[in-house]
Amino acid sequence: MNVVIGIDVQPISEVEASIVEFGARYTRKLFTDHEIECCETNAGTSAAGLAARFAAKEAVLKILDTQESVPPWKTIEVHRTQTGKPEIVLSGEAAELAHSQGVEHLSLSISHGGGIAAAAVVAHISQCEVEAKR
Amino acid sequence: MKEVNDVIREVLETHGRLPVPVEGLAVDDNLYDNGLSSHASVNVMLALEDAFDIEFPDALLRKGTFESITAIREALASIDVIAVPE
Repeated sequence: MNVVIGIDVQPISEVEASIVEFGARYTRKLFTDHEIECCETNAGTSAAGLAARFAAKEAVLKILDTQESVPPWKTIEVHRTQTGKPEIVLSGEAAELAHSQGVEHLSLSISHGGGIAAAAVVAHISQCEVEAKR
Repeated sequence: MKEVNDVIREVLETHGRLPVPVEGLAVDDNLYDNGLSSHASVNVMLALEDAFDIEFPDALLRKGTFESITAIREALASIDVIAVPE
């Protein structure tokens, strides 16, 4: 088993500005219905929550070899479990790419503060895939 | 009437947050290598939709679609916004 780490940060102000300029068009392009629902608050959409989810998508892309194809943003979803813990759920092209590269499990941590949202993803890569690349 | 590449360059200027002058970029220069962030590429995509009164299909909602002026032009051509890429 090999371990690969991806990390990314996203200024929350940039997400806020995009929401102000493009509204729901922006959120629907990038985020799944579940992700948008998770970021809805009484005060409106949480830009910090969306920024953290965007950082998570980028962190996953840093783990995958995307030289030939970059999967669409919405095929990488931050799913919130019943206990409130975030986890990565891949679908479509992202799932196929991860499977082909031996990604067996992804662990996610997200945070935000000081105007910045951050995400770190740890991937477990199967030993077979690691040896195949040598 | 503006050329398609001119409109693309205008959108990159207003929404790309590039640290280099857009006018100095060749059509095949990699925009990410020249400072386009992934998040800014989303704003570029939405601004292009406004500029051309179109909607990018889900299949094109990915980073690679916006990696160069040529790539953007090809994406626009693929959804029949423009007839033939220059």
